[in-house]
Amino acid sequence: MLSIDKYAYSSKLAGIDPMQKLFFTFITLGVCLWANDWVISLLVIFIAVGAAVIKGGIPIRIFAKMLLIPMVFLVIGVLSIAINASSSAEFFLISVQVAGTAIGITSSGAINAFNLFIKAIGSVSCLYFLSLTTPITDLLDAMRRLKVPRLFTELMGLIYRFIFVLLERSGTMFTAQSSRLGYSTLSTGYRSLAALASTLFIDAYRRSDELYTSLEARGYEGELRVLPRSYNKSRAGYICTAVLNILLICTALALRHL
Amino acid sequence: MSKRFQLAIGLALMLILIPVSASAMHIMEGFLPPVWCISWGALTIPFIVMGLFSINKTVRENPRLKILIAMAGAFAFVLSALKIPSVTGSCSHPTGVGLGAILFGPSAMSVLGLIVLLFQALLLAHGGLTTLGANTFSMAVVGPLAAYFIFRLVKKAGGPQWLAVFLGAALGDLLTYVTTSVQLALAFPAEIGGFGASLAKFTGIFAVTQIPLAISEGILTVLIFNAIAAYGKDELKALKLFSPGGANHAK
Repeated sequence: MLSIDKYAYSSKLAGIDPMQKLFFTFITLGVCLWANDWVISLLVIFIAVGAAVIKGGIPIRIFAKMLLIPMVFLVIGVLSIAINASSSAEFFLISVQVAGTAIGITSSGAINAFNLFIKAIGSVSCLYFLSLTTPITDLLDAMRRLKVPRLFTELMGLIYRFIFVLLERSGTMFTAQSSRLGYSTLSTGYRSLAALASTLFIDAYRRSDELYTSLEARGYEGELRVLPRSYNKSRAGYICTAVLNILLICTALALRHL
Repeated sequence: MSKRFQLAIGLALMLILIPVSASAMHIMEGFLPPVWCISWGALTIPFIVMGLFSINKTVRENPRLKILIAMAGAFAFVLSALKIPSVTGSCSHPTGVGLGAILFGPSAMSVLGLIVLLFQALLLAHGGLTTLGANTFSMAVVGPLAAYFIFRLVKKAGGPQWLAVFLGAALGDLLTYVTTSVQLALAFPAEIGGFGASLAKFTGIFAVTQIPLAISEGILTVLIFNAIAAYGKDELKALKLFSPGGANHAK
């Protein structure tokens, strides 16, 4: 049901220490945001896509499909930043007159919007690299090592496992309802969805109760302990990240002085 | 028509026709400048710490509730993945902000909301890591607090329960989007007119898309809440433990 999760487990980078991947993601993401330059952003897109596709073995088709997910927000957001209204048309590159006010795009606005567009795609590629190559369980392990509060990581771990149980449950109910025309009209649709959500809630509640009972019967004392995974010891990830990002920073500085 | 050409047309059509959904309103990765990422993150941390302390206290008194809180988080995630049927045929997703706040209380919701947003960013590619602070502030702090207090206020004023739930969920939803608009306007003040003009632009766009969504979310929350109140009385009673004043006000 969650294809990103499936790819993360089967990627070629799944055995690498999650710290290295976090390091790569956050440093590259940080440089991309800091540079705020479309050349750097394009380079970041190439690096992140390359890392995920060549190193991680993720099909490029999947990566491209995922880039479409935030497009609605991106297009709406960028357009609303680029388009301005003013009483006179003199500032604008292109403008239309609507009821006495000019609505249009200034040249600096267009440049900023273009920069933002590419920058956002660059940052999203970094995020996708992380989510397509790092299983959540590894990420939780890394968070534990980074001293994130125990309660938080534990809740996260439990929620992660329950998501799949509840998703399957709601999927079954949805199929059952729609095969009985439960979503054929708007009003039955609302009624069916309310029935689904409330049944899911009560079901989740009972499941959690049963789960607690069965855990307690096996000696649960408020903590689920698992052995940390052992990872590939190579440090290549840190070195590559550092070299690539120093190059990116130098390019960014050089571009600024041009 | 060559296959490549068909694909290009398909992609173009997809871009145009993708329905604007509630989840499209998470601020995406890389959209906010670093200053705002850090500021909103810092502003959110106290609420998360408070939430963690409150959950910790509840769990220490009643260890059974830890599993229940986790189940509630997973429920919120799955709820946000469901589709609300809508008139125009486009789909939208419930945010679950109102329902969660009324059932589990705003302090637990801040932590659960953060975790749900993190999973949405990692597993569904909605939202992002650097914008997590801003998104958590609008969806897991402002939204639930507003929904909870509106719910309590209407109940105290003697309004019927359905109205309290409806207003809580719908207004909680709307305030979430107003917060998102403020965040975007602060980060991107308009060249002409500054913050005010920018806020007007963003709220204008959100108003068109989000007011119908907030109303349908309100209706849906009332229906869900009534069903839970009818079939899950015992469960609601147990929820009293971690949402004083919320669920136990339900009949």
